[in-house]
Amino acid sequence: MPESGDRLDITTFLLSAIHDMKNSLGVMVAFLEDALACAEQPAPARERTAQALYEAQRVDEHLIQLLALYKIDQRFYPFDAGEQVLADLAREALARVDTLAGSRGVTLRCDCAEGAVGWFDYDLVYGVTVQALHNALRYARGQVLLHAHTDADGGVEIRIEDDGPGFPDFLLERDLPGPLAIQHDTGNTGLGLYFARVVARLHGSDARRGAIRLENGGALGGGCFVLRLP
Amino acid sequence: MNGSIGARPDLSAHGFLVVEDFEGMRGILRDMLTRAGVTRIVFAPDAAAALIQLERQHFDAVLCDLHLGRGRNGQELLEEARQRHVLPPDTVWLMVSAEKTAEMVAGTVEARPDDYLIKPLTETLLYTRLARQMEKKRVLAPIEQALRAGEPLKAQRLIDAALERAGTHAWELKRLRADVAWQSGDDERARAIYEEVLARRDVPWAQLGLARIDVRHGDYAAARARLAQVTQGSRAYLEAHDCLARVLEHQGELAGAQEILRQALSVSPRAPHRLTHLGEVAFRRGDLDTAANALRRGVELARGTPAQDSGRYLTLVRVQLARGDREAAMASLSQLAHDHKDRADVRLVARAMEIPLRMQAEETTVAWALAQELAPELRAGAAVLPTEVAFDLAGPLLELGDTETAAALMIAVVGNHHDHAEYPERIEALYARAGLAGQGRALVAHAAREAVEIMDRGVRLFHAGELDEAVATTRAALARMPDNARLLLNHAFLLIAGMERHGHDAAAAQEARACIERARRLKPEDRRAGELLARMEVIRHDFVA
Repeated sequence: MPESGDRLDITTFLLSAIHDMKNSLGVMVAFLEDALACAEQPAPARERTAQALYEAQRVDEHLIQLLALYKIDQRFYPFDAGEQVLADLAREALARVDTLAGSRGVTLRCDCAEGAVGWFDYDLVYGVTVQALHNALRYARGQVLLHAHTDADGGVEIRIEDDGPGFPDFLLERDLPGPLAIQHDTGNTGLGLYFARVVARLHGSDARRGAIRLENGGALGGGCFVLRLP
Repeated sequence: MNGSIGARPDLSAHGFLVVEDFEGMRGILRDMLTRAGVTRIVFAPDAAAALIQLERQHFDAVLCDLHLGRGRNGQELLEEARQRHVLPPDTVWLMVSAEKTAEMVAGTVEARPDDYLIKPLTETLLYTRLARQMEKKRVLAPIEQALRAGEPLKAQRLIDAALERAGTHAWELKRLRADVAWQSGDDERARAIYEEVLARRDVPWAQLGLARIDVRHGDYAAARARLAQVTQGSRAYLEAHDCLARVLEHQGELAGAQEILRQALSVSPRAPHRLTHLGEVAFRRGDLDTAANALRRGVELARGTPAQDSGRYLTLVRVQLARGDREAAMASLSQLAHDHKDRADVRLVARAMEIPLRMQAEETTVAWALAQELAPELRAGAAVLPTEVAFDLAGPLLELGDTETAAALMIAVVGNHHDHAEYPERIEALYARAGLAGQGRALVAHAAREAVEIMDRGVRLFHAGELDEAVATTRAALARMPDNARLLLNHAFLLIAGMERHGHDAAAAQEARACIERARRLKPEDRRAGELLARMEVIRHDFVA
């Protein structure tokens, strides 16, 4: 359809550039994972490779989130909630961060009832879970725990806990605001939390919508990210 | 958990087709599959090569990249494979893509892959999805097989049994159950399932299902309200957009229909059927530029695929003639004939459409000579000529003085559509323009009376117990009115009644099935087609048992 104006052009450019970058990152991530799998690498090189892998995965996640947020905003995200096996979600999300966890000496644990099913858009919730795991791995001292459970009403709760120092106070406010102000000292743009909140709120109806919550403590005593879906 | 994630399944007994243009990705997929014990992997770099492989051998799973460089993409390949019937019911199709697209989740049944894998791929992702989908196919393949064999009752029994066992596929089974009920004309059952589903979760497909039932019962306002709710939420629900556009078009809101189609095309631009619909709506509105662009693109996208459709070329020609662009119209007609080399009927239409074109160019002598040459063929094939082509030709033929051929075409239109609201008026207007108003009125009245009489004769004979004669009567009538949906269903009904009396008969069953399928294509909203198919299935099984 012919549409006039430069706005379409720049948007098209951005979208195709994001695709292209994602493809390159996919190749980079595969190479870095292969490199980490080679046993003979000296320790400092391993450390650097693991760091590079973490950064590459972070960029990849951000691109996915930007793309999804753009589509949600423009009303053409193919939102596809359906019945999903929680154990599959947990397995796939943990597999995604397994190499990184191994290189950092962090043990991943999973607490999830086999056979439990929830109702959600798989890709969006997978994106939120992986990014919460990455965040937990960044601060964990030795352990990260992923809980995934259903409640009696068919709702889902996903908790990602770590044994690190926990979230700073300003993030613990009960009602998380919209996009957080950019924290220039930490480089945190707030994109991840904003994305998680948008994803949570896409689930359910006006009567009851999904939500996210940050806590400190939990089973491991560190930070705890909670996603609840109706 | 480190190291223990993603225990590899044993896939050694399975054959895979990998459709991927990028060599690096082919290597990654081959390594992942090989590590799970797969020994039979066939690679295809593009859609054409993949289709050849699918025709040749059976695969348990297809891993297909959405982007395949130039040529058709993975989405178009999937749809074409289904339309060409080269995808067996037990083959799992996984689409590999950088992102989820609207077609994958909200397109038609033909458009949806079994599942999609978002890059970057991990072994765990691939193995979990494969295992889940292969397990699902074990439940769904026999149902799909029954549906393909034209056994909806058996399919319904299988679905009900699977639902009794209750697994993780309950929603999918319910969706299928409702769809089969709808296809069989059991709207009450379909509605009950959709409403039960919606009481638990707000799913767009159930809203769409209810809207389709509303449309079938003529409740366009209710359908519109439902579909508006779905489409306002997201532009990605493509099938709901297509359905809403039809509803709006039916209500005469052409601008609204065009806008809805434009929105769906902005999300999913490579859909020939949607481009055609946009072209038709824009044409009706007089937006000829949009119409020509959409139809030309539709023609180009569908060329050489099962979606290629001569009707699309002809609508394009009409739009081009309406714009006075005869050169383009002539080129489209040549292309139509060229793309349908093996279809004598289409080639005849392509040549005949040159008659109105020449008339518009005031080349009356050329038009007259062409009409003279083609008249015998047109009269002989009048009953199977596309209705709009008959209208395109009748005016010029009357103008050229060939009232005999014009009448043959118009009588066939009335016979095929005896209960159509607008065609009689159009015919009379056409004759009035040629200064033959009285002749037009007489023709319509006579042809309509004859069509109704012929159908009534079959019914009367049936009620008098003269079944064989009734069948012979409707069969003879069909030779003259082969596109009359009611007559087709009446004929199928008589054949089925005959089998119910005397037992299953392969030839009669085949004839009845062909009639029902044809009627369904002509009038998808008629519930009788599904009901008759179900009755045939009962006969077959009683006979076999």
